[in-house]
This record gives sequence, structure tokens and C-alpha cells, in this order.
Amino acid sequence: MAIQILIHGFLLSGLYALIAIGFTMIFSVGRVLNLAYGVYIMLGGYTYFMAAQEAGLPVFVSFILALLSGVAFGLLTYELLVRRLENNPVAVEISTLILAVVMQAAIILIFSPSPKSMWPVLRGVLRFEEVSVTANILLATGVSWVVLALLMLFVRRTHLGRAIRAVSMDRRGALISGIDPRNISRVTWGLSGALGAIAGVFFATITQLDPHMWVFPLITAVAVVIVGGIGSILGGLIAAHIIGFLETITTTLIAPELRGVVTMALIIVVLVVMPKGLFGKEEL
Amino acid sequence: MLRNILAGLAVAMVAIWSLSAPPPASAADTVKVGYIGSFDTDTGKSTIRGTEIAIEELNAAGGVLGGRMIELVKADTREDVAEGIRAYEYLNEVENVDFIISGSIDDVSLGWLERMAEYRTPTLDTWTSFIGIIDKVVEDYDKYKMYFMNVACDFALAMLYVDFGKDVLAKDMGWKTVVVMQEDTAFAGGVYELIEQVLAPEANIKILEHIVYDINTVDFAPIYNKAAASKPDFIYLISSVRSQVPASQYVKLEVPVPMTGINVAALGKEFWTDSGGLGGGISTLSPIPSLGFELDERSADFYARYQAKYGDARPIFPHFNGFNAYYGMLNAFAAAERAGGFAPLDKWVEEMENEDIVIEKDGEMWLRYAFWKPGEIEPRTNREYTHNIKFDIQPPYDQGAPSMVVIQWYSDGSTSVVYPPKYANGKFEVPDWLK
Repeated sequence: MAIQILIHGFLLSGLYALIAIGFTMIFSVGRVLNLAYGVYIMLGGYTYFMAAQEAGLPVFVSFILALLSGVAFGLLTYELLVRRLENNPVAVEISTLILAVVMQAAIILIFSPSPKSMWPVLRGVLRFEEVSVTANILLATGVSWVVLALLMLFVRRTHLGRAIRAVSMDRRGALISGIDPRNISRVTWGLSGALGAIAGVFFATITQLDPHMWVFPLITAVAVVIVGGIGSILGGLIAAHIIGFLETITTTLIAPELRGVVTMALIIVVLVVMPKGLFGKEEL
Repeated sequence: MLRNILAGLAVAMVAIWSLSAPPPASAADTVKVGYIGSFDTDTGKSTIRGTEIAIEELNAAGGVLGGRMIELVKADTREDVAEGIRAYEYLNEVENVDFIISGSIDDVSLGWLERMAEYRTPTLDTWTSFIGIIDKVVEDYDKYKMYFMNVACDFALAMLYVDFGKDVLAKDMGWKTVVVMQEDTAFAGGVYELIEQVLAPEANIKILEHIVYDINTVDFAPIYNKAAASKPDFIYLISSVRSQVPASQYVKLEVPVPMTGINVAALGKEFWTDSGGLGGGISTLSPIPSLGFELDERSADFYARYQAKYGDARPIFPHFNGFNAYYGMLNAFAAAERAGGFAPLDKWVEEMENEDIVIEKDGEMWLRYAFWKPGEIEPRTNREYTHNIKFDIQPPYDQGAPSMVVIQWYSDGSTSVVYPPKYANGKFEVPDWLK
């Protein structure tokens, strides 16, 4: 039982971290909750489905197309909505939520409301004693770690990454230093779209595609951000593991139907006891 | 003189107007049928299309109730209880319908049921199978007598599934232990109770574990591993919402235990493509006519018209409720013809109770669209099923169609009925990785 919890907790946490990280970035830099974030995940999944499963394109090419769809939609969200409303965070949140609902309707129109299962990116099953694990979720966890490591390096070691951090710390100060916050916002929204789309490919291949699939990742991302602390990539990573392990323990030892309830209870406790989250800070 | 000229002119004007003007549209010119259910789901579309084909047929034959045309109006429930109640109110208060045909899911039907009792509108359900509704008709006939359900109720479905458990799971496969995995819904809870109280003791199958999961569960690996750790002979899945998630993850994980049960996603022909070709080895209980079910001549003709009208638009094969809607409409309007309309209600109800469409195949009873009458006792369960479809849950199934069949998906994407033997045209199989 312990090995089952350890393996599944670890794998689920990796997936949650991948889902949440793009959401964290937007909040840290733009100070807005992007409620259309789940759409990047949904678009990534559907684009990969169309490319790999319907058109028969190679996995790598399909993956790149999915990623590009996330980048494009992230940029479009910024240019068409966020930039025009950037002084009004509430308007941004409402408009991104409406955008998500509109996109859901569009997906229903194009693909029908019926869910679709996707072939795994990597096929195969591994067994550790009595525990079955798909190669696909192992790959998702691996990708999650690589993406997070690259993101940390990008943010801390590159000029553009440092510019993103500067804007997240002090937008006006960054502007005085010659950094164009709008360009940085564009990069951040594009990057967030890419991260969401990558998460979407794995999320969809592990679960399923359906027009409502944007809701669960959005809730997960919000939970991770609240528990981990706003603006902290490392905090988000740790929070993803806390939530992943908590859900696995609940599923395995208590009752599977309580898994979501435990996460919600954790959010309430953190909001009451540590409103800034476990590792909350103002910048990335 | 002038007065006479003016009067003649007025008469002439009225005559010209009455000859040239189109007849005013009024509710009395058409008979209004209201559809209540989802517009978007495959199951909802099946009921809509079955109804549309029946309306075309009845209108083409010269109309109903003295040559009146039937008009279909629709109200979307979005599979939501509150929307369902509003939809029922809309059909009655705004559209003023004569008859309602429903493709609602169980919870939604339960939601609008009290409105139905208030409006006293004749209503036929084609998808809902909750026995609690039939029990209401039995217990308070005067209040709910306008309600008919032409799919076998879940209790009848379960009774025949007990036979499948005894004959196939226990006897043929030699399985003695099970882990039941059910979604957290009222429907699944009811089915579990039947499994616990009837299937397990009658088929001598021991329930090792009962796992209830949230319908929003995205990762079934811990659940399947927990089930497999109990080392059962098989897993019994009860899933009506987001059924593709547990089904496809079962295949992706190559869970080392066979699985059968109720999987609503596997009822449609699109399951194969929707599951990315990962549905092989999945079997599920299904009301009839189902995928893999051999169609009689009359039902095959209905399906041919369905194909001609809807082509490749999903669902390309109607779910069982599409057939039920078609035959149910014929039942309802035949009863209305004899009763002189849908009102007075008592007369229509009496005639609907006398409706009996018997469909034979190769000289034997194949399908039957009739209803249990008040006070009539089903011999096997020794209970009443007033206004439920007249099912038969004892071989040789010569009093009605069986309440359900078990359908099997194979790894080449084909399907067969594997139980009961009278309707079987394939064999029960476990997935390839377990052979």
C-alpha cells in the first residue's frame, strides 16, 4: 500500500505541477487571475488529438502544434482582452471567464459534446510489485520536472527571464530601467499558453478530451497557487506535491469520492491560517 | 339601395378575403408534441430523431386526430435538474403541448415529475429507468397515471443481469469474487444495492470491496490498483457519467483483472472512435435494441430511414431510446386516435394501457411495446410495474422483450450481444492482455 501511495502520489503531483505553473506565471507578472487558463489546456489536448489521432502526424510534430496553439491563444487573449482592460483586474477576470465559456461552446460546436479518449503519448504499462503505472504518466512527470527546471533556469539566468522577474517585482521600476512591461506581458502570456498546452496534451491523454475539461485543471491551478503562495514557482511545486499526495492518500486509504473535498478543505485552512500561502511572495 | 350595395360589398369583401387569405395558424390546427431532454448528447439526439421519424411517418399518412399535422417543439434540459423543471414548465405554459416525450436522465425526470402531476400532461419517458418513478405510479396512480416509461426499469434490468452473473460470470467463467467500482450518483448507488442484495447471493459471488469514486475523478490508477490488490476474479463497474475515463484508463493501464458492468459510454457506436480504439474487451449491460442486437424487419426499416435522414451525424446508430421514442410515439398516437385525443386524460391513459405493438422475428417474439397495467403482477419478482414497458425477465422471453442484453466490444471494433442466449450472436470475452 505504501509503495502504491508513493508512486501514485509522486506521479499525480508532477501532473498537477505542470498544470499549475503557467497559471502562476500570469498572476505573478500581470497580477490577474487568468480564468481562461483551462482553455490553453483544452486547446493543447484537442490540437494534439486532431494532429496525432485524426491526421496521423508524428507525435513530436503533434506536440509542437499543440504547443503553438497554446502560444497563439495566450497571445490572442492578451492582445484582444487583457491589454485593453489591464487597469481593471476584475474586468480581466470576468472577461477571461466568459472567454472560457465561449471556447467551451466553440469546442462543442466543432467536436460535439461527447468525450473522446486519446492514445497515450508513450504506450506501455510498467508494474512495480502490484502497482500498475502507464509509461505515459511517467513521461508526464518527467516532462513536468524538465519544464519546471528549464523555467527556473530561464527566469533566473536569462536576460528575458530576469526582465520578467523585474516586472513581477516592480512594473514601474522595470519601465524606468528600459524594460517594456507590455512586451514582457506578451512573452509571459505566450509562455503560459505553451505551458498550459503541454499540460493539456498529457492531461488529455491520461484522462479524456471533453468540452468541460478546462474546469478541473483551472480549479487545480487555483488550489496550487493558493496553497503554494502567489508568485512562487517553488511554492507551487511543493503545493502540487502536497495536494497530489493528499489526494492519493485519501483515494487509497479513506474513500475515493472524498478526494476533491480534501483539497477544498486544505484551501480553506490555508486561506484562514496563512492567507499568503505556504511560500507566498510578491515576485517569481 | 345604397345600404344594400354596401352590405353586398361587405359580404363580397369578406368572401374574397376568406378565399385569398391563408388560414390563420392556431393551436387547433396542429397537435403539439414537446420533447424534453438534452439537445447535445447522443442519447438526447436519439430520442429527438426517433420522434422526428415517427412524426414524419404519421404526418405522411395523412395526419392524426382528423387529419391534423403533428408539430414538434423542444426544450433543452442540459442534463440539469433545475433546467429540466423550467423546460417542462415552458412546454406546458408557453407551448401548450398535447403530449411530452422525454429523453431526460433519471435525476432530471425526477425533477419535473411533480410538475407533470400538476399539469396532467401525458408524458412518455424513453431513457430514464429509475424504478422509484414507477413505484410512484404504483403507489399513487391517480396522481401519476399520465406517466409512461418505455424502457425497462433498473430493477428489471438488474434481475436479468443476475441471470447473466449466474450463467456466464459464475458458471462459464468460474468467477466467485468481485470488486464493485461505482460512481457517486443516485443511479449507481441503486444498482449497487441490487448487486449486493440480489446478484451476489443468487450468483454466489462474494463482494470483496466496494469502491465509490467521484464522477470528476481524472486519475483512476490508484483506484484500479486498489481494486486489483484485493485480487478479485473480476471488477464490476457502474458508470453512467464520464464513462470513457474509467473505461479507457482500464485499457491503458492493462488492469490485470477482467471488468464488466454498466458503462453508458459503451452504448454508442462512436465509443470505438471516442475511445481511440481502446474499447476492446469492454462489456456492458444495455437496454434494447442495442449495438450488436439483431434487428427485426420493422426496426431495420426504421434504422434505414434514420441513416437516410441523418447520414454521418452522430449518433450514427440510434441508442435504444431512439427506437423507444419511435415506437412510443406510435403507441401514444394510436391511443389518442381511439380516445379522441390526449384529453380527457383518463380516456387516453386507458387506451395507452391497451397499446400493444408486438414485433416478431423468424416467427418468435422479438420486441414488444406495451405497458404493465395497474394491479398486474410480474411473476418472477412478484411486484407491480404499472406503466413500465412490458418486459419479460424469464426465458423464453415470449411475453415481452428481455429487460436488457449484455453487449461486448471486441478488439477489432466490432460488437455482439452475448446474453441472453436467445439474442446472443457473440461470445463474452476478456481483454486481449488477460487471455
